Amino acid sequence: MKVIVQANRCQGHARCLAEGPDVYVLDDLGYNSTNIDHVPPHLEDQARRGALACPELALTIIED
Amino acid sequence: MTTNQSGTNKCPAGAPVVDFDLATHNRMADSNAAWDQLRSTCPVAWSEDNGGAWIVSSYDAVSEAFRNWEAFRSGRAVRTIPGPGGSPDLLPINAVPVQTTALMIPEELDPPLWHPYRLVFMGLLSPKRVAALQPRVKYWVTKYLDDVIESGRCDIVETLTSGVPGAVVLEWLGFPEHEWHRLGAAFHNMSSYLPGSPTAQHYLDELEWAFERIREEVTIVRQAPRDDITSYLANIEINGERTSYEFATGMVNMAMSGGVDTTTSVSSAAFVHMHRHPEDRQRLLDEPGLIDSAIEEFLRMYPPARTHGRTVVEDTELGGFLLRKNDRLIISEVSANHDEAAFPDADKFIIDRFPNRHVAFGVGPHRCLGSHLARAMFKEMLTQVLERIPDYRIVEEGLEEYSNWTALGGWSKAPITFTPGTRRL
Repeated sequence: MKVIVQANRCQGHARCLAEGPDVYVLDDLGYNSTNIDHVPPHLEDQARRGALACPELALTIIED
Repeated sequence: MTTNQSGTNKCPAGAPVVDFDLATHNRMADSNAAWDQLRSTCPVAWSEDNGGAWIVSSYDAVSEAFRNWEAFRSGRAVRTIPGPGGSPDLLPINAVPVQTTALMIPEELDPPLWHPYRLVFMGLLSPKRVAALQPRVKYWVTKYLDDVIESGRCDIVETLTSGVPGAVVLEWLGFPEHEWHRLGAAFHNMSSYLPGSPTAQHYLDELEWAFERIREEVTIVRQAPRDDITSYLANIEINGERTSYEFATGMVNMAMSGGVDTTTSVSSAAFVHMHRHPEDRQRLLDEPGLIDSAIEEFLRMYPPARTHGRTVVEDTELGGFLLRKNDRLIISEVSANHDEAAFPDADKFIIDRFPNRHVAFGVGPHRCLGSHLARAMFKEMLTQVLERIPDYRIVEEGLEEYSNWTALGGWSKAPITFTPGTRRL
């Protein structure tokens, strides 16, 4: 699994971090701008929930 | 609804016309019902009330309007419409202008000027910085509950939901403790009463005093910097130069106005909700792990900011209609949050609703800067009430709603009784 982040959509709501604390990393201002090339299998649920929670629809999950 | 073809009034040709005066819906239930009715028939409509405006009420249209900052501006300076409700010195983010208030920075700026000011606040109120404030949040919730816990009664609005955000934000800003109650009350009560009433006039005067105090403090810290957020904001360098006095006061006003009364609204609503729906309170007592999703559901059902205004700066289509330059928009967070198309069983409180992409904090570039602090304060209040006074009951005859549900909604008074407990500090 991969996560593509559309950084220009992110407004720093930090809902991805709330749902996927072991998956998502925010910068010092609270924005998410980092694609994740490989989500470990045991964290896939966190990744999915984090993407679903984003009110800006900034995260796209690519399943293997 | 009618469709305007004559062009005899301000209504854009072809627009669906509704009579929708937000100010007449002065109870939560009435206001919510009016939004439900409008959204189901006309998610983007024109109303001649309050100077004329597009009313945007579906989840999709609200989200689109909030995100399209290029066409729909938040900045005060762009408001140039003449006539009632259109004076440039009125507050453009208020959907129904009720009074002239001090400038708020960055909310009332637009890019590119907006951008560096936005980043200042993003840095100050990031998830990490809010985590560092958590001990102060916990302290004030603990102390204010300690103050009443042996008596078995209090007004939960005054004690907790108004008191805590006031203390946390005003301590952070560096305002003296003896002024916190008066400053908090000025913002809280300003939101609570219908414009024109003697009570509202009193709190308008109090609000003017609060703005004067902001101007005084900014003057002081620009001469002699201190170690607090007012001083940090007042002396911030933008593009290599210290910001202007006007923008400095605008930033402190933003922090105070945005901070002291908004969390009040949703947390009061949550305590009223749990009184009226004991099954939801019991579920949270039985399963404390549900608190985070419950917080999102409270925010969805009871968003503090119910509407925001924008001004169209270039002809733009929304919801199938052409909005013209200089038209006003009223965008409704509360209506979007109750849209059945986005939230199945939208009128039901579903404690573990997921996903719950509500717009209580708005979306797009102007989304609420204080959302992380708001969630932290709300969570600590909810947690300690459930731990320490889990059997509280609201004294119904003392419960008092805001009489004004246009821009903000909430509760002015919510007396409670409970089994007395013990102090923690």
